[in-house]
Amino acid sequence: MAQYLKPLPTITPLNQPYWDSLRRHELRMQRCDKCARVWYPPSPLCPRCWSRQFSWTPLSGRGRVSSWVVFHQPYFKGFESEIPYNVAEVELDEGPRLMTNLVGIANHDIRAGMRVEVVYDDVTADLTLARFKPSTS
Amino acid sequence: MASFDLKDKTAIAGAGSSPFGRKLHRSPIDLAAEAIANALDDAGLGRDQLDGMIVSFGSPLGADVDTIAPLLGLKLRAYSQTWAHGRFTASCIQWASMMVCAGLANAVACLGSWSLSHIRRPKFGGAGDREGAREAGGGHGEDPVFGMTSPGAGAALVARRYFERYGANSRQLASVPVAFRKHAALNPNAIMRAPITVDDHQASRLVCEPLRLLDYCLVNDGAACVIVTTAERARDLRKPPVYISGMQPLPGGAEEFIWSYPGLGVAQQSVFDYDAGVQPVYRMAGVTHKDIDALFTYDAFSILAWIALERFGFCKPGEAAAFTQDGRIELGGELPMNTNGGLLSEGHILGWAHQVEIVRQLRGECGPRQIRGAEVIQWANCYGDSMIYRN
Ligand SMILES: [Zn+2]
Repeated sequence: MAQYLKPLPTITPLNQPYWDSLRRHELRMQRCDKCARVWYPPSPLCPRCWSRQFSWTPLSGRGRVSSWVVFHQPYFKGFESEIPYNVAEVELDEGPRLMTNLVGIANHDIRAGMRVEVVYDDVTADLTLARFKPSTS
Repeated sequence: MASFDLKDKTAIAGAGSSPFGRKLHRSPIDLAAEAIANALDDAGLGRDQLDGMIVSFGSPLGADVDTIAPLLGLKLRAYSQTWAHGRFTASCIQWASMMVCAGLANAVACLGSWSLSHIRRPKFGGAGDREGAREAGGGHGEDPVFGMTSPGAGAALVARRYFERYGANSRQLASVPVAFRKHAALNPNAIMRAPITVDDHQASRLVCEPLRLLDYCLVNDGAACVIVTTAERARDLRKPPVYISGMQPLPGGAEEFIWSYPGLGVAQQSVFDYDAGVQPVYRMAGVTHKDIDALFTYDAFSILAWIALERFGFCKPGEAAAFTQDGRIELGGELPMNTNGGLLSEGHILGWAHQVEIVRQLRGECGPRQIRGAEVIQWANCYGDSMIYRN
């Protein structure tokens, strides 16, 4: 694998299970055992009911594009060759929104509300990112 | 209601600034010293009478209160500082008002100072994006793993969301920077004074789409300061007091995203139809929208002006795109905004230069850009905080 030049995530004890699940090609988030809320980013407790009883639950990996931007100015060396590149906010069917890149679509074809599904992108031996592509089904 | 009613109990007694520029090659403490001295002089106060200071932003780009104070030979009874974001201007003034009312200080300098001459581009975002490396992400939606970086990208995300939800577009957004540039042309302190048109805006390069270069504010050097004291004391000073009539603090939590109002659906916000109702700042000041002679807002990006207008109920969600057309927010219009030229054209002084301009407008000191008969001016921001000032 070529040297990975893009920024790496800040992994903390709180979000470690999220990144571990992506390495196994699963999208898991915390789900409250008391009120069934699913949330992101990882929090020490359910933001709705403050229960600390939660489970890292597998999600559908499906959602829709709620907003997006296209970077025309270089900021990171690792992204320079991909300019103009998109960054999208995807609202998962389970509720939380995730920042991501959309793949398999031209930037000018991105539309608000379009259905997308997760793609597990193994960018290094230790790091897998959740990117999203237009849904086929 | 509060037993501690602060309406008109405190005032801005003095306002001052340093020069603003893109290559001043002066340090933040140097710039702060000039702004503080000018503000004290404006108030007719000596430095020995200054016993409080609240700074926003601070190092490494700005100057911290604990370095400014000893270098200027001050003797402070009380100081405080907010972290390196531009959102705290009103908060600093509000806390200063409470301090002087509580007798914790007599005169509090509230200021921000910074210098970006020495920083290479990009000045925000990119490899130096410590903001994005914060636990749980950056304050403007930064997530560098996906290349999401810089405050402007968060504003672009809001702009796209707004465009899609309400059917607005970049060409309509141009009316904001075009209006503020017209104001800057009348302001000798402004950095960018050459007029621009909607077509210039549309021809300017895309930075983070849908935002263009002319949707972005300046990055520059400069400092500005206001002196807060009790209304009673201000009446005995050199210039007429500018009373602090209304205050609204910064709201926070799950329904807030810095550049958005609740319900728009950015970050983890719910999606619903936002209703501004009567925002608390108007109740405190005892005024309505009709009484507001000018509106000032934190315009780091053009879209923030639309968000602020809707957040405070000057128009309904989705209507700011139309509201800002046809000169309505220009001098001579129904609601002049950022008559100094704002962060977009006068310069980015962390919101402090806006406070200085408000003070000068309410004293009738603004020359060719004076709003005739200005009596009530509001500072109101996309993130929900506000001040109402009167003369
Ligand atoms: Zn819960």
